[in-house]
Amino acid sequence: MYKDKVILGFETSCDETAIAIMKDSKLLVNKISSQVDIHEKFGGVVPEVASRAHSEMIRNLFHTSLNEAQLELSDIDIVASTDGPGLVGSLVVGYNFAKSVAWSLDKLFLPVDHMVGHLSAPLIEYPQLEPPFLSLLVSGGHTQIVLVEEWGKYELLGTTIDDAAGEAFDKLSRYCGFGFPGGPAIQKISEGGDESKVPLPRPKPSGEFDYSFSGLKTAAVYYLQDLKKEDEVSRKDFAASYQEAIVDSLMGVFKKAVRETKVPTISGGGGVMANKRLREKLSTFAEEESKNIYIPSPALSTDNAAMICSAAQMNLTTKDLNINDVRLSSIIN
Amino acid sequence: MYKLSISTSGSFISACLHEEKLVGSLIFQSDQGSTNLLLNEVDELLVKTNVDKRDLGAIYLDTGPGYYTGLRIGYSVAQGIGGTLGIPLVPVNGLDSLAFSAHTSHRKICAIVDIKRNEFAFCTYKPVPGGVVRETEPEILDTETLKLKFAEDVEKKLLVGNWDLISENDLPNDSNTKLADPKIVTAETIHAVGERIFQNNKYPNFNEIPINYMREPDISLSQTSLEKKVEFND
Ligand SMILES: [Zn+2]
Repeated sequence: MYKDKVILGFETSCDETAIAIMKDSKLLVNKISSQVDIHEKFGGVVPEVASRAHSEMIRNLFHTSLNEAQLELSDIDIVASTDGPGLVGSLVVGYNFAKSVAWSLDKLFLPVDHMVGHLSAPLIEYPQLEPPFLSLLVSGGHTQIVLVEEWGKYELLGTTIDDAAGEAFDKLSRYCGFGFPGGPAIQKISEGGDESKVPLPRPKPSGEFDYSFSGLKTAAVYYLQDLKKEDEVSRKDFAASYQEAIVDSLMGVFKKAVRETKVPTISGGGGVMANKRLREKLSTFAEEESKNIYIPSPALSTDNAAMICSAAQMNLTTKDLNINDVRLSSIIN
Repeated sequence: MYKLSISTSGSFISACLHEEKLVGSLIFQSDQGSTNLLLNEVDELLVKTNVDKRDLGAIYLDTGPGYYTGLRIGYSVAQGIGGTLGIPLVPVNGLDSLAFSAHTSHRKICAIVDIKRNEFAFCTYKPVPGGVVRETEPEILDTETLKLKFAEDVEKKLLVGNWDLISENDLPNDSNTKLADPKIVTAETIHAVGERIFQNNKYPNFNEIPINYMREPDISLSQTSLEKKVEFND
């Protein structure tokens, strides 16, 4: 445990260049240089564009972070960085920069799995979070139900067999011209819409706690192809119905997993966890079932480096994971 | 004062250390798992030569052209070390470093660096006393265009760099063309140019060092067959 240390964290696994500094378990700085504006033009994250942007931004972001935290380089005790999974070209930028800073300062370097970062993100706001708990990790790259039996001991109960939940948002949003990223765009458009207006399926693959979203996406596209003006379906009705189908699918399997594992606490993370409808439904469910619920605020649910600091201060580093753990891809070794 | 030179633009990851003269160098073949190799290599180099990192006075970096991910690895490590130790970072163009290595030749020098997908960065140089000067601006050419370029050019010339990655049929086969070393950009070819730039104080500020991608990113994102106007009722 490194609770009384100054930890500098880096996260560059996708399209956000993120740096955070934690001191005595308090978050001093949590900076995210978003590339949304860049990728919006393409309707999705273009890996080469993302990698170049990370490379251009990281050094300045690092110095701004130190300045804002009013720290000197010599104040840093530990440097941590995401080491996967993610876009290789993006990961190498943050990882190599972070490791080089640690090396130059002769300080400890801790590699952190991105998913373990998400699992430990709630600790920043809810230090009382204790295993066992079940976490729903949902984003553009992953849709997983992870059982945290104890810190450092994880079991992947379920995952998506095709698209991630965030991808389901992105793809439909692009199709409808709603914008990028799809989740926030659809959420915004859905306000005041009728979520029962459009009948959409809630696909469920055979794996006990697995997810599938490609069937929903296809059904929605078919529906839209046949859509006529006289059907009187507005943008907000469609967006609300589609969002509801994704949230329902996520909730259905997760509820079953919570009931079967009988965990006392539920948690979550990832970009889709910033979705209001999903957060509402999770809270209602927790209340009904008398479970503790510790969901990070939206800014700590989406990708950030504070979660990397959080994992690092708990010493939840990649080297401690064994092959059967939740780490699904080891890109850098 | 020691100078650290780094090259990661091609299929090798190399680092070398100079004081007045070469103190030590390491070179590894780069592959899938080598994203982490460069810093380990730098560390090993310093341990082997018994040099303290605090005695490093400058970093000479190969800023391309070359393989994009490799270039970013070199750039990240150099920025991380340089920025933290507070020492200058001197960017060196890989093509220039290849040409400089051959500057004692009396021929025109054609430097070639592979950037993958059958494309090459290309630049021609004229040897002058003590060095080389660019005759052309560096450009990206596919093998077909490169072949035509060679066919049109009857001057006596020396090819250096990744010419060995071009198929024999596409290389000029005449008495005017000499295929020569070095075939790859290494930390040592980078050092030779970096040292001159450093001594002449002609390097840019940390924030003004670009990577020489020489190409816009490929944005052929799978925009699938989707993308159509949906007729909503509002
Ligand atoms: Zn994530």
